[in-house]
Amino acid sequence: MTEVMFVLAASLVFGIGVWGLLIAEHLLRKLLALNVMSSSVFIIMLVVSGDGGTSPDPVAQALILTGIVIAVAATAFALALMISIYRATGRPSISESDDDDR
Amino acid sequence: MVISVLIDFLLAAGMVVLALQVVSDKAVLRSIILFVVFGLVMALAWTRLHAPDLALAEAAIGAGVTGALMMMAWRRLLIINPERPADTPLGRSRLAVPVALLSAVLVATIGLTALDVESPTHTAGQVAAEEMTATGLGNPVTGVLLLFRNLDTLLEMAVLLIALLGARAISPPASPEEAAVVETGTPLVGALLAILVPLSILIATHLLLAGTHEPGGAFQAGAVLAAGGVALILSARLKPGERPGIVMQLGVTVGLIAFVAIGVGIMALGETLLVLPGTWAVYLIETAMMVSIGLTLALLFAGAPALVGRRG
Amino acid sequence: MSASEWVAVALLIAGCFFYLAGTIGLLRFGDVHSRLHALTKADNLGLMLVCAALAMLSANWRTAALLVLVWLLGLLAATVSAHLIARHARRGGD
Repeated sequence: MTEVMFVLAASLVFGIGVWGLLIAEHLLRKLLALNVMSSSVFIIMLVVSGDGGTSPDPVAQALILTGIVIAVAATAFALALMISIYRATGRPSISESDDDDR
Repeated sequence: MVISVLIDFLLAAGMVVLALQVVSDKAVLRSIILFVVFGLVMALAWTRLHAPDLALAEAAIGAGVTGALMMMAWRRLLIINPERPADTPLGRSRLAVPVALLSAVLVATIGLTALDVESPTHTAGQVAAEEMTATGLGNPVTGVLLLFRNLDTLLEMAVLLIALLGARAISPPASPEEAAVVETGTPLVGALLAILVPLSILIATHLLLAGTHEPGGAFQAGAVLAAGGVALILSARLKPGERPGIVMQLGVTVGLIAFVAIGVGIMALGETLLVLPGTWAVYLIETAMMVSIGLTLALLFAGAPALVGRRG
Repeated sequence: MSASEWVAVALLIAGCFFYLAGTIGLLRFGDVHSRLHALTKADNLGLMLVCAALAMLSANWRTAALLVLVWLLGLLAATVSAHLIARHARRGGD
């Protein structure tokens, strides 16, 4: 019951993240959407790895812990990239129309 | 029973609603704040899923450090160009909704199918749990991270270092004005720091020591240490520096160095690569990792290659 | 349920009431100072009541002492952040 509920909620969160990633113009917002997506994947990983008992699989937990730390490292690097883009172009976004109106 | 299902439902629904608001709120700053709230709800979900290690990591790293990094980046955007509103409207894409729906359905299908599969009897996790008593470690997650799959953890430390070097390479160091936020005129800030900073060191040490037998560990401890650093940076007690001295360089790399030194050094004694010789090695490596993680996250937050104390 | 559990439940409900009141104040009040007023006062009391309830339920001096520390830390953080926000608002910040 709980497992199914969390899998469904995480799937919805994943879809919302994909939607946010596609419609966001601001790079910071795209990063937020990516982080939301990764959280939903972590939830599914843990729920699926368990056997319904009270102690989830330690290997899955260790992998997710690694994932959380990698996500923050990647986010920090991406934020530095965004600041550089903003300094260079004056805009916090990248889109295909960039070449046309510049 | 009914109440626990209700709590799980509220958490799951809260996650969905918050995620929707994070990606769709008009103001980016509000999205960031909502993302922090989302991270805290995630932390509650981890406790409900019986994963307290992940709850600690999510609250400290997922919500705390990520949120602080995002807010600092937002502030730097405003400092670079104060006139131009840094908000941009949400774009439009005809494909966004169908693609999002399809991916949600795909993930749900994969997740529900995987839930239905009879779990195999001899998974790595079960083997790890069985072997755990022989290692002298009470926390299976720390056991997996430091003993059974420690190559992953070693490379994770490398990724953290590379992220710092990469961020340093592509963007010029932040000026001191970009880093300090809190006015230093009020005596309350000093009083808060006098309690908060020693407390962050105390809690980090506790998490580190507890991590071998109960929830906690080097990553959570490092994040708490970084939080103390963030408080010092925000109040201008620590300022971004131009050049990292030997202490900074050593601090950032000591986790990797200790890990590699012990992991490779053990081969001289005829052991296999990365087979740690005992609990003392786990403590030693975790302490070094905690220092490196804390310092790396604080430096990423400051957007600078080094931190220097306030002069005078 | 034992007497101490009933007391804990009463404390929990009272704590939730103060959290609710503080949150309503945060959402409904018009300016920064009234919002801070609602949030810091009501939520700190709510936190104290919830901590007291949990301490009753745990029936363990060590846990109770830790909960007191949690409450004090919450008080400290709320006090200073409210002070900073109010100061910033008074100087005409956004």
